[in-house]
Formats: sequence, C-alpha cells, structure tokens
Amino acid sequence: MRNLLHNMNPSVKFIAVTISMLTIAFFFNPWTPLLFWVSILLLQLTMSHINWKLWLLFMLPFSIGAFGYLWTTVVFGADTGGTIIWSFAGINVTDEQWAHALSLSFRVMAFSSLSLMFAFTTDPVKFILSLMQQLKLSPKLAYGVMVGYQFLPVMKDEFTQIQQAQRLRGAVVEKHSWQRILSMRRVLIPMLAGAVRKAERSAFAMEARGFTGEPRNAYYRPILLSRMDFLMSFVFLTILLTSCLGGIWLS
Amino acid sequence: MLKSWKLKEVVLMSLFAVVFGIVYLLFVHVANIWAAVIGPLAYEWMFGIWFIVSIICMYIIRKPGAAFLSETMAAAIEVLIGNAVGPRLILTGVVQGLGAEAAFALTGYKHFNILVLMLAGIGSAVFSFVYGYFVSGYAALDPSFVALMFTIRVLSGAIIAGIGGKYIGDALLATGSLRGYAIARTKKGDVNA
Repeated sequence: MRNLLHNMNPSVKFIAVTISMLTIAFFFNPWTPLLFWVSILLLQLTMSHINWKLWLLFMLPFSIGAFGYLWTTVVFGADTGGTIIWSFAGINVTDEQWAHALSLSFRVMAFSSLSLMFAFTTDPVKFILSLMQQLKLSPKLAYGVMVGYQFLPVMKDEFTQIQQAQRLRGAVVEKHSWQRILSMRRVLIPMLAGAVRKAERSAFAMEARGFTGEPRNAYYRPILLSRMDFLMSFVFLTILLTSCLGGIWLS
Repeated sequence: MLKSWKLKEVVLMSLFAVVFGIVYLLFVHVANIWAAVIGPLAYEWMFGIWFIVSIICMYIIRKPGAAFLSETMAAAIEVLIGNAVGPRLILTGVVQGLGAEAAFALTGYKHFNILVLMLAGIGSAVFSFVYGYFVSGYAALDPSFVALMFTIRVLSGAIIAGIGGKYIGDALLATGSLRGYAIARTKKGDVNA
C-alpha cells in the first residue's frame, strides 16, 4: 500500500497529474481546489512513504506565494459585484471577491502538493525512460536529456571551481544582491563554454559506441505498464470528479 | 524533425538546459519570496529570464525546433532536479518554447538579428501569458491590473530574453568554443548575422 504511488508508471502519473491540473484550472470556487488538495494529501499519506520534513520545507515558499495571491486578489480583484462582507483601509471586500481569492490561493496549494507528490515519488531516470518507452519520445532527445542530468554534479563542481579561480585572481565579491545578479555573467559564460565542449565530447563518445538515436523495440531497462496503473488512474479520476462536483455542490 | 539534427547539437541543448534549469530554479525561489510581498507582479518582470534558453539555443544552432526543444528540456531538467513546481513546469516550458519558436518560424528561420530575437522573447511572453491567464486564473483579477502584468511581461521578454540572449550568445561566440555550430559559420560570411 505504501509503495503504490512509487511503483506507478511515471508516464501514467505524469498524464494524471497534468489532466487534473488543467481541469482544476476551470474552477473559481474555493471548494474544488480545497477538496482536491485535501484528497491529494490523503492519497500521499496513505500510498507513499516520503520524507515529510523535506516536504514541508518545499511547501513553505509556495504557502508564502499563496498568501501573496490571497491579498493581491482581494485588493486587485476584478469587480464582480456581490455583497460587501468587510472593509479595510478603504477597500471593500465582497463575498465573491473573497471566494475568488480563496480559490486562487487554494489552487496554488493544490497544484504545489500535486507537483510535490510527483517529484517525491518518481525516479527521474525512470521518468525519462518511461517517456521514451510509453510515450515514444525520440531516443536522441531522451538520452540527450539524461546526459545533461548526469552532468549535474560535474556542473556544480565546475561552478565552485570557476568562482574560486576568479577569487584567486582577485575578482571582487559584490555586496549588493543586484550587483551579484549582474556579475552572474562572469560565471555563466565560462560555464556555458565548458558545457559546449562537454556536449561535443560526450556526443562523440556516444556515437563512437554505436548510438544512432534510432527508435528501437527492446530496451535494457524496460519500464512496464501494469493493471495497477489503470487502477491508480481511476483513483486520480475519482478524486478529480469528486472535487469538481463537490465544489459545484458546496458553493 | 530531429533527422537533420546532429547528436552534438541535441546534447548541447541538454547541457544548456541543465545550466539554465538551475538558473531558472534559483529565480523561481527569488520570485516566490517577492510574490508574497508584491503579489503576482513579482513574477512578471523576471519572466524574461525564463525564456532565455530558447533564444540562446536558436541563436547558436539555427535549426527549426531549437527554441521549442531547449525550453522544454530546461523544464524537464528542472523537474528531474526535483522542485515543488513539479511536472507542470514541463507544460509551461512547452508553451514558452512554442512562443519563441513561432517568432522564428514567422521569419522563416532565416534571420537571427536582435529584432527577431526580441520578437521571440515577446512571443514567449504572449504565449506564456495566455497559458498563465488560464492556469493561474488571472480572469479573477481586475482587467487593468492584468493589462499591467501583460505589459511588464512583454517588456521583460523583449529585453531580458531578447537582448540578454543575444548578449550571452555573442559573448559565448567570442570564447571560440562555438566553432562547428551554425552561429560561427554565418558570422564568418556576415550573412544574416
């Protein structure tokens, strides 16, 4: 039970998440995103084993963003009419405006937890392999992305190396954050130049070992579709329908 | 579409996607914190940063699809790194990439001067705004506020992505590492450059 979300086929999960998101975007009542958010949390509590501390840490910036949405929608919301429920500092807040504001904030929360669910239960490499095997992504692109992904730690080392090298030669570290953003160029250009050379080398190495980028029928690491995947998509669909209908009924 | 692509060009895009994927994520965090203070407007002026990879890649590789594929790849890398925006970022990347791609397609993939690059930035801005209007529910906001958001985003796309993208591309060309890519070939003859 605790492995269900982890074992789900990544492509199926990706499609389920995308469809849910696009559907929820049609609703402007506060209940639909709230119901959906709560159900996703329940789903994750019962069907996955994740590090909840880390999860909370990731959720934090989005909760802050959701709050930003709440107050800007209240202040800059479209004039929709409705009765005024309270006024504050000359701003009259109508019940419809308040409902819209809540809806948008809950939407941010629902989307972030849905996304986090995907991120916390999916192995990135399996996701790319599954995109290639189930959704017929071109192997040239799929392996291209994986090469980039494997280079991540190398890039990180290179970043510190370039910075240290520049500091060694007396480059000043800017005090203000906007100056630091402007001086990003100094690190970015060498990084990109290094990336160009790495790309050439690894492409050459891949071709030397017989990689043509043609689609194939058999894979070294097959990612399979099982009956469980259909069951899980059904669960997602049920949650989606319930929150949509429940939202309409409650508001 | 990929038939005419060399593997090294695909891998180049992917590595650029990694570098900019990290840059993009950094700015997502910066923007989120800003957003709590000044609301959705915080994202608008930074939006150009999130379009830049498609413009740089197209400027260097100059093949149909370079803008669309690189932006999508950058979004995919962001998802692979693991972040809270999650898989819907891929959709955002697809939309932004298509916007830039549309601008290059309009000019027949023949011109890559600053005006076309700025147009590509604007294309990304317009496409992403339509998508954002729908997904983030801008319909609930005041129309004049939405118009302000749109203007800032278009300006950001043209200036940060268009001019900034050309600037980075040219600086990279000057390092000499881009020999063997379309940008270096056309620069020599000074055609369309």
